[in-house]
Amino acid sequence: MFELFGTVFEVFMRTYPGFLEATVVTLQLTAVGVILGTVIGLVFALMKISGSKILQGIANVYITIIRGTPLIVQIMFLYFGIVEIYTMSNFWAGAIALGVHNGAYIAEIFRGAIQGVDPGQREASMSLGMNRKQTMQRIVFPQALRRSIPPLGNQFIITLKDSSLVYIIGVAEIFSLANREAAQSFQPFESFIVVALYYLVLVMIFTYLLRWYENRLDVDKT
Amino acid sequence: MIIGENIHKSFGDLEVLKGVDLHVQPQEVVVLVGVSGSGKSTLLRCFNFLEMINEGSITIDGKKVDTKKDNLTKIRAEVGMVFQHFNLFPHKTVLENVIEAPITVKKMNKDKAKKLGLELLDKVGLSDKADVYPSKLSGGQKQRVAIARSLAMEPKVMLFDEPTSALDPELVGEVLQVMKQLAEEGMTMVVVTHEMKFAKEVADRIIMIDQGTIIESADPKTFFENPQHERTRQFIQLVE
Ligand SMILES: Nc1ncnc2c1ncn2[C@@H]1O[C@H](COP(=O)(O)OP(=O)(O)OP(=O)(O)O)[C@@H](O)[C@H]1O
Ligand SMILES: [Mg+2]
Repeated sequence: MFELFGTVFEVFMRTYPGFLEATVVTLQLTAVGVILGTVIGLVFALMKISGSKILQGIANVYITIIRGTPLIVQIMFLYFGIVEIYTMSNFWAGAIALGVHNGAYIAEIFRGAIQGVDPGQREASMSLGMNRKQTMQRIVFPQALRRSIPPLGNQFIITLKDSSLVYIIGVAEIFSLANREAAQSFQPFESFIVVALYYLVLVMIFTYLLRWYENRLDVDKT
Repeated sequence: MIIGENIHKSFGDLEVLKGVDLHVQPQEVVVLVGVSGSGKSTLLRCFNFLEMINEGSITIDGKKVDTKKDNLTKIRAEVGMVFQHFNLFPHKTVLENVIEAPITVKKMNKDKAKKLGLELLDKVGLSDKADVYPSKLSGGQKQRVAIARSLAMEPKVMLFDEPTSALDPELVGEVLQVMKQLAEEGMTMVVVTHEMKFAKEVADRIIMIDQGTIIESADPKTFFENPQHERTRQFIQLVE
């Protein structure tokens, strides 16, 4: 047991400069995945509640395909489908794949949050003479946004962990580093423990920040 | 002020309103009663165009409303509505709740709206709560804010759908008091309520709806002492 401790520590000390660099890449992938996913999610959520059959249909197809296929397949698809045609770095291929993947889940989060707002809110707003757009912008969306923060936070954490899958297209994030380290050092077990610790710490920091933000939102309003 | 003629409303196969005629005079206070499911809420919601009637017509302040052509948003602004569950906006303070529509719909400038909002909160006895969020209020306070919020649009008529039904008994009085004051000031009101004491004291007319039609319409004294319809007699016995 102590022996393992020692070798893990040794691997950690030897690899941390590389891992810190790779952590930046992982965080960048996550950031792009989250931001792009949020934008895409918002657009598709609006399409789903638009009342237009065509827009709803498009959104449904997108969401069904993304949720029905593994992320790793989507990454490969984007990589070979786009990088081969347009010149694009592996990083961006992976980041966009993460964003597109996330978009489907975030769309469902937003849609659920919007539809979860008490219909009485809409009625009260309409009864005051606000039109549909005003009602959405000023009454429904702000409440939906609050409701969507916890599940969004959850999705962000999933994205952080999912970013490991882009190692398959050779992006130098932390999992691919651990993978290489494992092969080269003949210490696979220790290498993967180290990378697991990196993810764990990142997720804990993320979770803490989210909780802090949620509490801050709740302080005066509820 | 509000004239409903031959109003029919169905939800799918269920016909809820079967030809309702109701003329509400300016400054009149009409209390609507009836057993659960008789169509009271539906009638109010039709008057505010939250539901669209299938047949018949609604005239508000002399203008017959064409639900296809007219700007319903504008018409709704003239008809205030107070809901059983208040429906205050939880993400806005009490004052923000009240001034939301004047600012958004009437494009009133913010200072003027705030002044109006504070006046109205004062009127319902809640000017000290202007800056708190609705979650901090009691049910009775919430409903008084909701009334102030409706009044901020200076509606020509106010509809109340069981405004005190969700309240603890000790909080009912403060809301009825505000409504009574409104009635005395000459507001035209249509009120669905089970508060028979309020109906007797404040209503000019009590209307009994039964299975989607009006079966009784009389001043409170006649309504309670000399009801024409057997169902009304049963209803009175039930509530008294
Ligand atoms: N949106 C709707 N869709 C389908 N049915 C509805 C809808 N709204 C109301 N109903 C039905 O219409 C009938 C009348 O409902 P309404 O709410 O008008 O009754 P009410 O007199 O207000 O009753 P209560 O005293 O319980 O509030 C009920 O049978 C109800 O189930
Ligand atoms: Mg009702």
